[in-house]
Amino acid sequence: MVNTRFCGSPDHGVTRRSFLSVPAIAGVSAFAANMRIMDALKNPCLAGELKRQQKSVILLWLGGGASQFETWDPKPGRPTGGPFRSIATDIPSVQISELMPKMAQRLKTTAIIRSLNTRNADHGGGTSLMETGRAVEAAIDYPDLGALIARELGRADSQVPDYVSMYSETEGRHKGGAGFLGARYAPTFLTESMIPPNIRRQESLADVDHQERADLQKLLAKRFSDKRYNASVASHGMAYERVRGIMASEKLFDINQEPQTARDFYGPTQFQEQCLIARRLVEAGVPFVKVARAWWDSHGQNFETHLELCADLDQGMSALLDDLKQRGLLDSTLVITLAEFGRTPNINASLGRDHFASAWSCTLSGCGVKGGAVYGKTDPDGHKVEEGEMKSGDLFATIFAALGIDYKKEYHVGARPIPIVDFGCKPVTEILA
Amino acid sequence: MTTADPTKFKVAKTARVKGIAMCVANLPGTQRLFFGSSDFKVYEIDMAAEKPQPVEFTGEGHQSYVTGAALAGNVLVTGSYDGRLIWWDIEKREPIRSVQAHGKWIRNVIASPDGKVIASVADDMLCKLWDAASGNPLQTLVEHKPMTPHHFPSMLFAVAFSPDSQLLATGDKVGHIAVWDAASGKKVSELEAPVMYTWDPKQRRHSIGGIRSLAFTADGKQVAAGGIGTIGNIDHLDGPSRVEIFDWAAKTRVHEISDTKFKGLVEQIVFPKSGNWFVCAGGDNGGFASFYDSQTGKVVHQDKVPMHVHKFVLNDTQDTLFAAGHDQIAVVEFKAVPAAPAETPATAS
Repeated sequence: MVNTRFCGSPDHGVTRRSFLSVPAIAGVSAFAANMRIMDALKNPCLAGELKRQQKSVILLWLGGGASQFETWDPKPGRPTGGPFRSIATDIPSVQISELMPKMAQRLKTTAIIRSLNTRNADHGGGTSLMETGRAVEAAIDYPDLGALIARELGRADSQVPDYVSMYSETEGRHKGGAGFLGARYAPTFLTESMIPPNIRRQESLADVDHQERADLQKLLAKRFSDKRYNASVASHGMAYERVRGIMASEKLFDINQEPQTARDFYGPTQFQEQCLIARRLVEAGVPFVKVARAWWDSHGQNFETHLELCADLDQGMSALLDDLKQRGLLDSTLVITLAEFGRTPNINASLGRDHFASAWSCTLSGCGVKGGAVYGKTDPDGHKVEEGEMKSGDLFATIFAALGIDYKKEYHVGARPIPIVDFGCKPVTEILA
Repeated sequence: MTTADPTKFKVAKTARVKGIAMCVANLPGTQRLFFGSSDFKVYEIDMAAEKPQPVEFTGEGHQSYVTGAALAGNVLVTGSYDGRLIWWDIEKREPIRSVQAHGKWIRNVIASPDGKVIASVADDMLCKLWDAASGNPLQTLVEHKPMTPHHFPSMLFAVAFSPDSQLLATGDKVGHIAVWDAASGKKVSELEAPVMYTWDPKQRRHSIGGIRSLAFTADGKQVAAGGIGTIGNIDHLDGPSRVEIFDWAAKTRVHEISDTKFKGLVEQIVFPKSGNWFVCAGGDNGGFASFYDSQTGKVVHQDKVPMHVHKFVLNDTQDTLFAAGHDQIAVVEFKAVPAAPAETPATAS
């Protein structure tokens, strides 16, 4: 058997299986502080792998398309700029919209990308493009970012979900999916409730009975697989083994477990509460959490809409970054703001802005990111990208690079190699730490 | 002197302007208009000219959209999203004084009919009264809540004086209206028009609407509020234009006009000094003007205006309105046909 080595040194050769077999690693999932893990960390390659595996992503999805003018790329005083001013930030050379005053004081943790040109200004097409990092292809069902991260950063023995998507019953909600990676990496999808449905043990079944059933299933499955091992059987058994852990994760979704001071710190809106849940989830080891805050599709009354939604975003995002930082999690958690597109420079007769994918913005904060960096530049009125044009695939490559994931990696669908990011795309190193 | 006949509605003249004309004032007896724009500037335009051309005011002006303009005698006062009020000499087209009046966007500026007081409303949820001549502050009216019930910043869009300058009304995003004694600053009534505020709790999780316009009837006994009715899809201004008229002393709603012929916001309402009608205007992506019978609330006449109307003003003979809107200024006339000579049989109207 050929070992897959984590680094060049034979001394540090280790297989993924042997890595996962380290007894302590089974306990890493939720709260990584015990001495056996400390022992494992003495092996530099194991430590590197563990570090990579402890990374998480929180995607703040601004469904409907937030305006770059009213957030990250203001154009005050220009005909397209709207009425809002730009304000100074904690990075002397960078200004953002006055609607983001709290984030203006937290740009040292955040890189702004102002040069997305994704060419698809349709909600459905744009969402698919920005969720998967590439255009729809009939022959291949591509996984979305959450599934890719779950695949790359999730642990086989994890007792918590690998991919949680909170998208309440708002317009444009989209479950996303694992595509060719398979259902193992599909999201736990929350719409009506902030607690996953059907997660609780049936009241008619005692916990001890449930445990005994699980033990019996495990025993029978082991006997079966010992004689007839194949990947499907192993996967089936693994899914059963995760059940009790995932059932036990219900409390992670319950913000009533948090002190009122923590809840006040985040704020009272649904989005702000979901940001708090996202922190709880990554703290417990969930590698990918999507918090969708819809709906920014401000064809009418763009400015009033952004007065409301930016206040929500600014409070929720800044609280999330502060909380992650205070808990020592920000260096290992990448927080992304992204949408399917931005909004038009032109202001229509309803004082709205329409769909626009030619020159828009997103942000990356925390893990692997050079805080305070601004990448790309749009023209004075925001009609087009002047410098540093980025496609969705370039953004995905940058996200993977920030997390230490090899962006040149390939999967195989049948015999066909599928690169993890679209052909020709590469990370923007200027915003990587 | 002509008398008004809303059924004779016609768009008499338009002039293209840079940006979005957000507010307008008219020098009585003339077609000289003063308007504020989304390009942060204040302009004069004489719509009596063959080819009206905007002339820019000079000096240190506003730093954001200019959203309120009121004439008090020969002094123009403008207000802006920058929170400043600026007094202008309209002949020199230069500023006289500038006041940092509000902490947030100024949504409207009006002058009392007697020309003595300026009122401004802003998203700091304050209505402030100013001495029109000196610019000194007179009153600060505190009533409207800074946050909506759904934890978002509220907005204070509308303000109106009664014809005798004694009363003032203010209206906010969630449909709350306060009526004030202007001299004492005491609240004398409060009214609710919650249908003007659409909160989408499920699909979009934000709000739209609000009371965008207020006007007292000629006798001052009733106050009308304008806005937009309940909207299904709040991405757009796709709801009925809406006017509610209240007996403010009795706190009862007299009329409730929900009009789907022309959708969008009712941005301004004006009751003429005389006559049994009132006019409102606004729009969605297009513009409209609607005349209603002030006794019955029934439609007298409705028509398109070439653009979304942000504000308008009636001329002193009450038969022409000057509208400021998206990229245009429009003159809309509704003049009665002059009475025929005695020997000619009268035509029905």
